[in-house]
Amino acid sequence: MKQIIHLDINGEAQDIAVEPYHTLLQVLRDELGLIGAKKGCDTGGCGCCTVLVNGKAVYSCMVFAMTAQGKTITTVEGLADGATLDPVQQAFIEAGAVQCGYCTCGMIMSAKAYLSSDGSHLPGDLEMRQAIAGNLCRCTGYQKIVDAIRLAASRRMETSAKG
Amino acid sequence: MAFAGVKEFLQPGSGREAVDLLAKLGDRAVVLGGGTFLHGLAARGVLGEVDTFIDLQKAGFSLVKSERSGLAIGATTTFTELAEAEPVRTSLELGAVRDALQYPPPQIRNMATVGGCVASATPLFDLPVAFMALDGSVKALGPRATRDIGLHKFYLDYFEHVLERTELLTEVLLPKLPSGSASAFLKLETNANDLALLNVAVRVTLDESGTCREVRVVVGGGVGKVPVRAVSCEDVLKGQRPTPALLQESGDVVSLDIHPVDDHRASAKYRTAVAKVYVRRALQRALTRLGASLDGHNGQES
Repeated sequence: MKQIIHLDINGEAQDIAVEPYHTLLQVLRDELGLIGAKKGCDTGGCGCCTVLVNGKAVYSCMVFAMTAQGKTITTVEGLADGATLDPVQQAFIEAGAVQCGYCTCGMIMSAKAYLSSDGSHLPGDLEMRQAIAGNLCRCTGYQKIVDAIRLAASRRMETSAKG
Repeated sequence: MAFAGVKEFLQPGSGREAVDLLAKLGDRAVVLGGGTFLHGLAARGVLGEVDTFIDLQKAGFSLVKSERSGLAIGATTTFTELAEAEPVRTSLELGAVRDALQYPPPQIRNMATVGGCVASATPLFDLPVAFMALDGSVKALGPRATRDIGLHKFYLDYFEHVLERTELLTEVLLPKLPSGSASAFLKLETNANDLALLNVAVRVTLDESGTCREVRVVVGGGVGKVPVRAVSCEDVLKGQRPTPALLQESGDVVSLDIHPVDDHRASAKYRTAVAKVYVRRALQRALTRLGASLDGHNGQES
């Protein structure tokens, strides 16, 4: 039986009727039209449904919507500030870190969580690859994705150095 | 739709309330920690006729407490929360836990819970193997009493443990080990989201002379219906000062204790070959953490 829940998605309060078994991914895509998070394996193995819950990367296909109440949810649609893209999105464009694009939004969200939580140093390749270890790119375009994360990380350092 | 039969999503405010719900609903209910394993089970059609989720997020079990007797880990503590706990970050004896938590990707670490991982009774999971090497136990809350159960007696078969339907796993307890103890964990996997093809956890306790007073070797990941304590490996080292030759011998005898499965992911022969190497390497890693000097060993892990 459906019941109304209250979710905070990209800074907006939403009242949504959900079934007890609905996942956050279903709610985002089917109820709210936020189709940045993709449905891939639907069992937490591919990462293209990655969103942030309270700033942490999660597979939205595994989160039951009922458990997301009272938490802050961020999808790729919530990253840009008006017409200005988030630095991670901008870096993905400049590094050409997109092939077919299906994994891209999930990759960006994993990169966003990693760069938000991890200090001001320039990460090594292994560290960056571990940050996206839960995301698969079937085009195998990992190198450009790592290049994009490095670019975003270096810009973050420049920004913090300028104070 | 895998869960279309689910009609209710309950979030009890305490363990007692959850146990009451279990008593009332029986097999119709499934308990959720982080819920990360549930989707895989449902997709394979092995979840059964479930019509109610009992979600424990509000039951008050998300905590890590250092006590005189050891470390108490609440059932709904996420992998991330456990990895960030000070004793897990720094203690030599909890090295195996630290190692095991590094394998899953961030998305799983942020959702999966310690209690869910242990109570799923999957011999392919990592943390239970690490906990068993540390002589861990679980606390179960039932309708009338609470009981502690050693993890070595907890698992019965694939997806089966000794808990009654009306009992709830509320805590994992890792006892304080003697000084001179360190542990380590290693996993063979094909990618970050893979279940273990094989995993090994060891714990070593050395006395002041460098003699091995106590040792545990536990192997999981397709070597049996439940994780296996490799007593033969332990016997090689107990009472001895570890040397590279003894570590090699300890690894080599693991084949006496395990009965690996032969499946599409790895042959039994391959699992056995890797188990020998991983037991030796895990012992080396634990001893390196203790600063033990192994004759003829340059301190590099191999």
